[in-house]
Amino acid sequence: MNNNKSKHALLSVSALALMGTMLTPAASWAMDGEKVIQEKCLSCHTRTGNPETPYSRISQQRKTPEGWQMTLQRMQHRNGLVLSSEETQAVIRYLSDTQGLAPSEAAPFRYVLEQKPNVVEDVDPAYKEMCARCHSNARFGLQRRTEDEWKELVNTHMAIHPTTELHALARDRRWYDIALNETAPKLAMDYAFNDAAWKQWQKMAKPKLEGSWSVAGYMPAKGDYSAILKVVKTSDNKYSVNLDGHYADGSLLSGNGAAQVFSGYEWRASLTIDGVSMRQVMAASTDGTSLTGRMYQSAHDEIGGDLRAVNGSAIVGLSPSALKQGETSEVTIFGGYLKGSVNLGAGVKVLKVLSRDADRVVVAAKASASATVGMRDVAVGATKAKAQLAVYDKVATVQVSPPQSLARIGGNGGKIPKVQSTYRALAFSAGKDGQPGTDDDLRLGYMPATWSLKPQNEVAEEDRDVEFAGTIDSNGVFTPGDTGPNPQRKMSTNNVGMLKVVASVKDGDSTVEGESDLLVAVPSYIKRAIQ
Amino acid sequence: MKFTHMIKAAALIGAVSSVALMSGCSTNPSASLNGMKGGGHEYLLTVSRPNQLHVIDTETNKIVRSCDVPGVFGQGTVEPSPDGRIAYVGTNKWEDVAGFDITNCDMVFFAKQSDKTVTVKSFVSLAVSRDGKELYTIQNPTRKLSDRYEVMEPQLAVYDTSAGLDAKPIRTFPVGRQITKITAMDTGEVILGGPDLQAINPQTGEIRMLSKLQHWDRPADKWVQPDAFAMHSLGEHVDEFIMPYFTIKWNGDPGDMEKAEFWWGMSRVDLKTGEVEQTETVPFEFIIFNFITDPEDSDVIYGAFNTLSKHNIREHKTLAVHNMEHTYYDLNMTHDRTIYVGGTSSDISIHDPDTLEKIGSIQLPGDMSTSGMRIAYLK
Repeated sequence: MNNNKSKHALLSVSALALMGTMLTPAASWAMDGEKVIQEKCLSCHTRTGNPETPYSRISQQRKTPEGWQMTLQRMQHRNGLVLSSEETQAVIRYLSDTQGLAPSEAAPFRYVLEQKPNVVEDVDPAYKEMCARCHSNARFGLQRRTEDEWKELVNTHMAIHPTTELHALARDRRWYDIALNETAPKLAMDYAFNDAAWKQWQKMAKPKLEGSWSVAGYMPAKGDYSAILKVVKTSDNKYSVNLDGHYADGSLLSGNGAAQVFSGYEWRASLTIDGVSMRQVMAASTDGTSLTGRMYQSAHDEIGGDLRAVNGSAIVGLSPSALKQGETSEVTIFGGYLKGSVNLGAGVKVLKVLSRDADRVVVAAKASASATVGMRDVAVGATKAKAQLAVYDKVATVQVSPPQSLARIGGNGGKIPKVQSTYRALAFSAGKDGQPGTDDDLRLGYMPATWSLKPQNEVAEEDRDVEFAGTIDSNGVFTPGDTGPNPQRKMSTNNVGMLKVVASVKDGDSTVEGESDLLVAVPSYIKRAIQ
Repeated sequence: MKFTHMIKAAALIGAVSSVALMSGCSTNPSASLNGMKGGGHEYLLTVSRPNQLHVIDTETNKIVRSCDVPGVFGQGTVEPSPDGRIAYVGTNKWEDVAGFDITNCDMVFFAKQSDKTVTVKSFVSLAVSRDGKELYTIQNPTRKLSDRYEVMEPQLAVYDTSAGLDAKPIRTFPVGRQITKITAMDTGEVILGGPDLQAINPQTGEIRMLSKLQHWDRPADKWVQPDAFAMHSLGEHVDEFIMPYFTIKWNGDPGDMEKAEFWWGMSRVDLKTGEVEQTETVPFEFIIFNFITDPEDSDVIYGAFNTLSKHNIREHKTLAVHNMEHTYYDLNMTHDRTIYVGGTSSDISIHDPDTLEKIGSIQLPGDMSTSGMRIAYLK
């Protein structure tokens, strides 16, 4: 187990430091982060004399654990800071807990902490060109600084990335002046250091996360899964975790690992599941009833999916989540320790309970031909969940999720691996008005599809991108081409391309297609915990 | 094949020697030039990774010699002295300037601009006075304090080119930010290629406007503030400096892309007189990184990137386009109008100015990346 954990740490920079303590043999004492700051950081940083914000540059900022991790990495890389793994952990722990973000502050930008790919941000025009031409909105949206600190950050940019003011969309304006005198003050308003949310969160009782959780999630190429997550406290903010369950096709899922909780709600776990190193990045709800986030492969963070855990016994999902009128199908109800009879709602008959496990109940069910189109609540004994199962007449539209995506060429003997992209087909029926694309469309959930690629536009067709840029498999997993110049291509260009991903969903005798845009881009040479 | 070239080269050297002897010079120029040709013979200068200055004879299109440049690769900026003898190279991540005698690779000048606490970056800004006595850089300094950085004012630094290997600025004058390419004019001033084109008097620090770009007076509802940027060659073959820019003309409401026109433009300065011509040149149908002017017709310009293209700027017409084998960043031209296209990879592609067809190639030992290609007219 320890060997596997070591591998996690080596394979990914993003959660390296955060997972570090798990590698150390259960330290019986907790290192004092503030003491480390005083011993190691104050050779450059100074005491301000203000007990509220005692250390220059440090005490005027609040960040996520990953944000503090990046700060420490920069200090080590650029400024000669030397910290042991334990000291690093202690400082990240201390700063995340005392100068972190409140759940409401981190909420809009969780996707970047979760390493969720293919999120298209809607950025305030004031930041779009000044900040977000290089960074995600999440990069600065997950920081809180005083105005002076935002200004110091501008100066840091000028010193360590001096060509910043010469980039396209910078050299056509007085970049430094605007950044210092317009952007920094706005950042200080929008992402204020002194925000009531954090003060309030610090006073609140923090969620207790021990116990058993009903889990539903999705893993590309494997499908939906249900599981029981068992969480046992090992020391303050540290837990051992076991995850056991089934994929929807009945195959088993099993793993264990360790978790830490930062800032009272930021769940970071490292597990080995069926031999594969995985990470969980989740947020506990403030009442402690649920954990939501994403689980992904440590070595390929694009391969992952949403994960939701509800404390105790609960119905957390259905697979499939839609039945066609007149159709008989196996339906798996995801949920922990479900007992009692299964009710799938009006017009849907449970023909037989096929199996019961700790994490799920599998039934054979039939929707009557006359069952009304719409959502059904689902109950297993006394456990109920609203609007879980859709009964539909026909599939009207299919959307490919994500609607816009990016894959990156790689491999080919180089240091940077390929970055895949994964797709699902989300089906809708037309709803009462019979018109697809209107507000009353009924979301049927994800459906099996056959997958294909086509050129996105005339240029892609002319350049034969479909031939070179990559392939998609039967699970909707796109694997991009090799990196490097390709003599077979025009101008020996590399295997980049602009494609459309096409999903074909069979609905009875007809096939409904959906498509989304895929850009196959060059490798990304710099990988950060917060992109 | 190799033999033929060697014989040809030997014959040429022989020919030069006899011409030199007949001219009755008191010294033997061919000896002093280490076998290279004087009399304004054109040598192409460029830099490739890991960090070498290459001197290429434009007659044979062969590398005459390659000089190791100290420090890590900078940006490949090269600036020849007016007599063509010294090549000044920006090195060490945009910080230092090294000057080499191109006839023997001897390093004759070195300026370390940064010190322990102040880091100085010069973004491709390197110029030599028209008399060769002074070298100019634009310094962009930042100071590292114990727990923060101080952004200091950019300045023109003036060096004495005879200062040797530990050169320090003899004068400095404050300038604006975002200055890239600079060059000296016969007026004694130095053109500052930045958000606007300005000229600074390196004796007094006095700055005057040559051509407004970022601060141009055009109405914002009709024209988009131009994106002006220069990193590469400037037009030494016709004694001019070109700052290319991109702009959008709104024919409908601002932002209405359907009705908009997308334009390349340029501010072109005559280095003899300081006269400036600012004009939109050709529709934005090609990406280019620099323009060069045809010595026979100043209305004709060339640009290169994925294509090599030739344009008439009065008629706003594209005259010819040639698809390149890969992406290149810059181009330059000899007096006989031969076009050299280089940058990015490790080869320089040679083209006919009339047909744009490829007529030759020079292979370098490393990638040129962003390096400039300049012509030294060796006296």
